[in-house]
Amino acid sequence: MTAAEQNELETDVQVSSDGCARVILRGRLDAQTAVACWNNLERNLRDKKIETLEVNASRLQFCDGAGFALLRYLNMGKMTPTATVSVIGLEASLEKIFRGFTKQDYEAFRPALRKRKNSLPGEVGSAVALASADLREQVTFLGDVMANLPPTLLDRKRMRWPEVRHVFELAGANAVPIVSLISVLVGLIIAFESAQPLAQFGAQIYVANMIGLVMVRELGPLLAAILLAGRSGSAFAAEIGTMKVNEELNALETLGLDPIRFLVVQRIAAGILLTPLLTFYATFMGVLGGVLVTLGLGFPLTLIFHQLVSSIHLSDVALGVAKGIVFGAIVSAVGCLRGLQTQQGPSAVGISTTRAVVTSILLIVLADAIFSIIFFSLIK
Amino acid sequence: MSDSPQIAITVRNLKIGYGEKMILQNVNFQVRRGEVFVILGGSGCGKSTLLKNLIGLYTPLEGEVWIDDEDFVAAKDNERLRLLRKFGVMYQSGALFGSMTVLENVRLALDEFTALPEPVKELVALAKLKLVGLGAAAQKMPSELSGGMQKRAAIARAMALDPKILFLDEPSAGLDPVTSAGLDILIKELAHHFGITFVIVTHELASIYNIADRVVMLDSRTRTIIAEGRPVELREHASDPWVRRFFNREPDSGDVVQPN
Repeated sequence: MTAAEQNELETDVQVSSDGCARVILRGRLDAQTAVACWNNLERNLRDKKIETLEVNASRLQFCDGAGFALLRYLNMGKMTPTATVSVIGLEASLEKIFRGFTKQDYEAFRPALRKRKNSLPGEVGSAVALASADLREQVTFLGDVMANLPPTLLDRKRMRWPEVRHVFELAGANAVPIVSLISVLVGLIIAFESAQPLAQFGAQIYVANMIGLVMVRELGPLLAAILLAGRSGSAFAAEIGTMKVNEELNALETLGLDPIRFLVVQRIAAGILLTPLLTFYATFMGVLGGVLVTLGLGFPLTLIFHQLVSSIHLSDVALGVAKGIVFGAIVSAVGCLRGLQTQQGPSAVGISTTRAVVTSILLIVLADAIFSIIFFSLIK
Repeated sequence: MSDSPQIAITVRNLKIGYGEKMILQNVNFQVRRGEVFVILGGSGCGKSTLLKNLIGLYTPLEGEVWIDDEDFVAAKDNERLRLLRKFGVMYQSGALFGSMTVLENVRLALDEFTALPEPVKELVALAKLKLVGLGAAAQKMPSELSGGMQKRAAIARAMALDPKILFLDEPSAGLDPVTSAGLDILIKELAHHFGITFVIVTHELASIYNIADRVVMLDSRTRTIIAEGRPVELREHASDPWVRRFFNREPDSGDVVQPN
């Protein structure tokens, strides 16, 4: 079996000592056979002192786009820069296609590779510029919301309460199962983890006090807010972001409807209303988890209940609810803002949702820290 | 099995739909090699769904789609991959990958399916782009191109591996008449010079008269093909009055607004 039959292409390369080279191609030159052909030519022609190169294609039976590309590469002298190259013998119809793309085209179209200049000061500068622009947008947005919130809240028709109810259901009621599960588990985990060290001091009953305080003041609000950010903050950003990509926001504006008043105020109102409830619920479930462990340790329910009631004050509950309100406002406002900031392109909505969750969690933790400092100085 | 080597695609007794819902049935036609074949019909008659069944995105409820001499519907994984390489598809929106340059979009299939050396792949991609008149836009991002240019780039991408068949979904939708006519010329040239078979879904009459060798017309009431032939013949001689109305761009009597 000859090479031509096996590979469907036979490449014959002859290089004479006077610097003349000749390539004869027989058979099919396509995307598969061009690879072996290329390797053969590389071996025999590249970096050789060749003055004339003749590529004889008269026995080519078939040539596809890849084949033409290879012939053009040779013809442009890319493999043999010192040589004068000629491609001869192509059948008329192939010749016409071959001539359809010239060296001039190659030089005109060939990408001068885009090089982005990276320099540390430049990167830092643009990052700072972006961050400050973002901060400015956040402040502007806050102002917009503040200006729109009271008049919209007071006007029943403009407030679109059914929309608030809808968001309330999606972000609140539908979140109950996952909030229950995670809160109970976190309560269980903390109780288990703390039971062992406390046992060394014979103070296991204080697991109940600790769970009560930690859940009511810190973890209840945090868990509720972080779950809200993951479930609903991202959903707000995706929803409003998709509306922006689909020009629905433009449609609202040209109808004379301000997106802040029409979309954002409702979501923030729902967030502020539902997060304290969710916080309260998460706290309750977390404490329940802790109580289960304490029961398992052999303490009677009345004792546990007494410990809980004696350790939790009304001010703690008030702090938890206050945190819920602030966190709810943060999550829903950030979700909406990131949605409104959505750019164009296929990844834009994804970027917006990511930014919504990241910024929400960052601001939640920041706000939590501020709460802790204030509360600490108040009771001191 | 196609009846002759002159036939590129044979569709036999195709029944398509979503789950229980049947959209079209008794769809039978053959596409000859090198012809521009247009699937047309009113809005919502199942044109695009039929196309998605032909290119294997959806599985038909019943029937066969033969590409060259092989049954595409019954093909198993490996055969299917090989058959997929026989055709290219241009989607209605272009569907260029937004994170890649135009050149990278065209190169993608070459990078994935061939072992060609870098400079050759680049030359193939540039040559395809020149063919559709976009050589100078090689380094642009898809978002920097106009709608017509995106569709041209999508045709170049579909042609990267030199398929013999190109499926185009609504090539002229959303384009101005000049750009649309330019695209028509490109399609005719590719069919004429490179022997590419085109299967085009559209309802742009001007375009159909320009490019179509043959059309089949789908109907949402009878849920099957109601006419097949050359566009001019159908306009003059179709037996179904609705087909004649379609080709003459006459509204349904019920749609005419009566002034008070």
